[in-house]
Amino acid sequence: MKKIHILGIVVIAVAIGVIFTSLQSSASYSDFAEAAANPDTEYHVVGKLNKTVPVQYDPKINADECSFMMLDNKGVEKKVVLHKSVPQDFQKSEQIVLIGKMEGNEFHANEILMKCPSKYNDGKPQV
Amino acid sequence: MDKTAYIGEHLWVGNVGNAFVILSLVAALLSAVGYYFHSKEVLTSEWKKFASISFSIHSFSVIGIAATLFFMLFNHYYEYSYVWQHSNNDMPMQYIMSCFWEGQEGSFLLWAFWNVVLGNILRKTIDAKWEAPTMAIFALVQVFLASMLLGVFIGDYKLGTNPFILLRENPEFANLPFVQIPNYLEKLDGRGLNPLLMNYWMTIHPPTLFLGFSSTLVPFVFAIAGLWKRDFTTWQKPALTWTFFSIMILGTGILMGGAWAYEALSFGGFWAWDPVENSSLVPWLVMVGAGHVMIINKNKGGSLFMTHLLAIASFLLVLYSTFLTRSGILGNSSVHAFTDLGMQAQLVIYVLTFVLICVVLLIHDKLIRVSYLMISVLMLFAGISFGHKITLLLIWLALSFIITIYSYIKFFPKEEEEESLYSREFWMFVGSLVFLLSSLVITYFTSIPVLNKLFSLEKAPIKIADYNLWQIPFAIVALLLVAVTQYFKYKKTDPKQFLKHISLSGVLSVVFGLSAVIPLYFLKDYSTSSNIDKWNLISYALLFISALFAVFCNLDYWMRILKGKTRHAGSSIAHIGFALILLGALISTSKKQTISQNTSRKNVTSLGENFSAQKSLVLTKGDTLPMGNYLVTYIGKERKGIDVFFNMEYFAKDKNGKLVKAFELSPMVQDNPRMGQASNPDTKHFIGSDIYTHITYADLADNKEVKADTYKEPTNFVGHMHDTIFADNAIILIDSITTNLTEEQYSKNDSLLIVTAVLKATDINGKVYRATPKYILKNNTVLPDEFELNELGLKFIFWKINPNEGSIEIQMSEKVNNTKEFVVLEAYMFPFINVLWLGCLVMVIGTIVAIVERRRVNKLKAQ
Repeated sequence: MKKIHILGIVVIAVAIGVIFTSLQSSASYSDFAEAAANPDTEYHVVGKLNKTVPVQYDPKINADECSFMMLDNKGVEKKVVLHKSVPQDFQKSEQIVLIGKMEGNEFHANEILMKCPSKYNDGKPQV
Repeated sequence: MDKTAYIGEHLWVGNVGNAFVILSLVAALLSAVGYYFHSKEVLTSEWKKFASISFSIHSFSVIGIAATLFFMLFNHYYEYSYVWQHSNNDMPMQYIMSCFWEGQEGSFLLWAFWNVVLGNILRKTIDAKWEAPTMAIFALVQVFLASMLLGVFIGDYKLGTNPFILLRENPEFANLPFVQIPNYLEKLDGRGLNPLLMNYWMTIHPPTLFLGFSSTLVPFVFAIAGLWKRDFTTWQKPALTWTFFSIMILGTGILMGGAWAYEALSFGGFWAWDPVENSSLVPWLVMVGAGHVMIINKNKGGSLFMTHLLAIASFLLVLYSTFLTRSGILGNSSVHAFTDLGMQAQLVIYVLTFVLICVVLLIHDKLIRVSYLMISVLMLFAGISFGHKITLLLIWLALSFIITIYSYIKFFPKEEEEESLYSREFWMFVGSLVFLLSSLVITYFTSIPVLNKLFSLEKAPIKIADYNLWQIPFAIVALLLVAVTQYFKYKKTDPKQFLKHISLSGVLSVVFGLSAVIPLYFLKDYSTSSNIDKWNLISYALLFISALFAVFCNLDYWMRILKGKTRHAGSSIAHIGFALILLGALISTSKKQTISQNTSRKNVTSLGENFSAQKSLVLTKGDTLPMGNYLVTYIGKERKGIDVFFNMEYFAKDKNGKLVKAFELSPMVQDNPRMGQASNPDTKHFIGSDIYTHITYADLADNKEVKADTYKEPTNFVGHMHDTIFADNAIILIDSITTNLTEEQYSKNDSLLIVTAVLKATDINGKVYRATPKYILKNNTVLPDEFELNELGLKFIFWKINPNEGSIEIQMSEKVNNTKEFVVLEAYMFPFINVLWLGCLVMVIGTIVAIVERRRVNKLKAQ
């Protein structure tokens, strides 16, 4: 076989490998209902901060934990425990994406992304 | 539109600016047309003059647009939306440049400006034979860029965004009240630059990066011209210098972005596989591949298709990157996601037009060419008129792909002889292929949001760990090739000679490598980690050794083969730099340590709290806490304008065991009343590592003076045994209750019944204090007894007993100045990160040396 054909096969193998593993491993955007149905799976849940309920954060007890109420895009509200300190300008956020799992009736998130008002030029800070 | 006469507006400036915009578009179009016809009949000098003059007019108008915008910014003409959005009165003059390109309109303008600069250099230095076809494409690109600045409505659709629109005419700000007043300009101040952008990086990174993007256009137009004129080889020689110039500038721009992120952003690193980062890295990787394949072609010939593919792909990927970052399609997934200015369709058309041009030029059969063009145009109109845009797009992409493959097989000249396995050109080709594969993987991962839109999926973005998982093997292969390929000769190499050359470096790299990676990765972590982590550790070790191998081989080649001559060693130096970058990135990222573990919280776990891995340290003003190898004291905060600096002193033990001050850091939180708080890190740079600190939570308000002994209003708490009461500076546990008499004894005689509540108060440092307020009963009268816990500034009164419920009521008073100021800090230690920065410097130097040498050789040959 010509060498170029061998290289071509290698390229295709890599491509298949990439597509296969990315489809398998990447999480999906979801809502609280789905996260609650599969408590061991990690999900990205999109929603909005409930700004009428105060965000609980007491750094002297635990500087790396805060909790708040969030409504997902289906309107379901759950308590979220975020294992980080309160993100900057949290109250200004228009939309948030949480990465984490459902534990009991609370969503425990390890990462959060926020979308701030579009009057910015930079869309939003990632925390 | 009301007919209010507004006072103080400078409308003539905006009109001048708009005139320039239109002129630049028309001139670019005329120039493209002119060069096109010129390229059809090379001898016609009228078309050449026409095209040339048009391009000059275009260049002049682009400079005019830029000058107009500068003039407005400099003079604070806030009646103009762009000026109001991105600048204000307080802003230091040096940030005027940053305002210029903070917005989308400004950065498009910057790109167009660099194109004008490079375009003029290109047409002055290029061979007459190539001038027309390359400049025709160049001018066409300028037509598209100029259209991005138009802001003109075609039916319902707005083409471009105008930088000179008036604030009061901008629909986005139409509901601002002050624009209804005729003299609104008197007191109007701009909104100002985003706080995250007020630093010198914003002054140098965007122009360098955009020059890099702009520079990818030159190899592109050369390759297209080659396809167009069916002359696939002679364009490569003049393009080679431009290609390496592009590699140098774009590479520098990307590295600046990494340095900026590390220095000024609080995500704690220099590379986040963020879509904007990726989409600038990918064209660079492809351009590196293109440059190396062109070198093969220069020295030996061959690899023609790959050369064209890579040179063309690099610019197309820049266009794709423009689409990704400016169309708003990234939405939820990027730090850099710029707002959607409604340009999604325009950007898609921009990319696809040039893809179309490439495919059309590749087809050599007139019938197929015309059919393909007609089908494409028909599909475009069908999409606009009838919808189903996404389906049509997918079909068109598939069609174009098939036609490309078919055209390659049918119309493209192939190499006659096969390359030997022991030849330099074979392995350089493999190297370029590896870079191409790496960029395709990165592009695929980054495009998940696009795939979501095309196929109606809901996939979340790929994580950093998965990017690394895929890129590390590519990096290992690339480094191995960087190491050994230079020892191959063109066409054929003696295997024994080859092995002799690389053996010393090979042995050295394995020896040094193992002696480093075993302590780094295998001593502690290996046995306790999971299978995935074991593979990670092995891959880190392999990457380490390959990087060392690349450094040693290139040093060896430089010293031994090139006899230490620096002039010829540009590539060796650049390769060493490349290897050092990967080595520095590997060590500093894989061994990054969080040193801000909250060591003071240990004692509180006895209260039954469930603590996950702590990353942050709570620092109260005046207190000293251990952090890594140091002790840190939070001195206090200092406000300078809108920046609040949190001063911290770090102490370490000197050789006598005494504590001495090691250094000071002042991480900052910017308090911008319009844009919120932004945290800026402060980093201490040592030779062997960096200590990086940033504030994650702080109260920016200034404390007022209070009298020392004032107590706040008391609060009452009802609790059972082992309940906790929270004070501002302590956690109080109701430990136990004791009485001096039993109930029987009390009712018998007339004595005092004393019930003592034993409270254990734990402060922030974990120290436990005991408070014993007493509930005293005499003749059924309660006598008040207050317990003062002076160390914590707390007072307790045992208020009530409720024997039926088994609960007691405690009243607690806290001193007003108990609420001591505190901050929450995160700190990391990055080992050997200076290797990364050294590598950046070395790589850029190496590339410059190579370019300078090539130009010198070309000049000699021309004489």
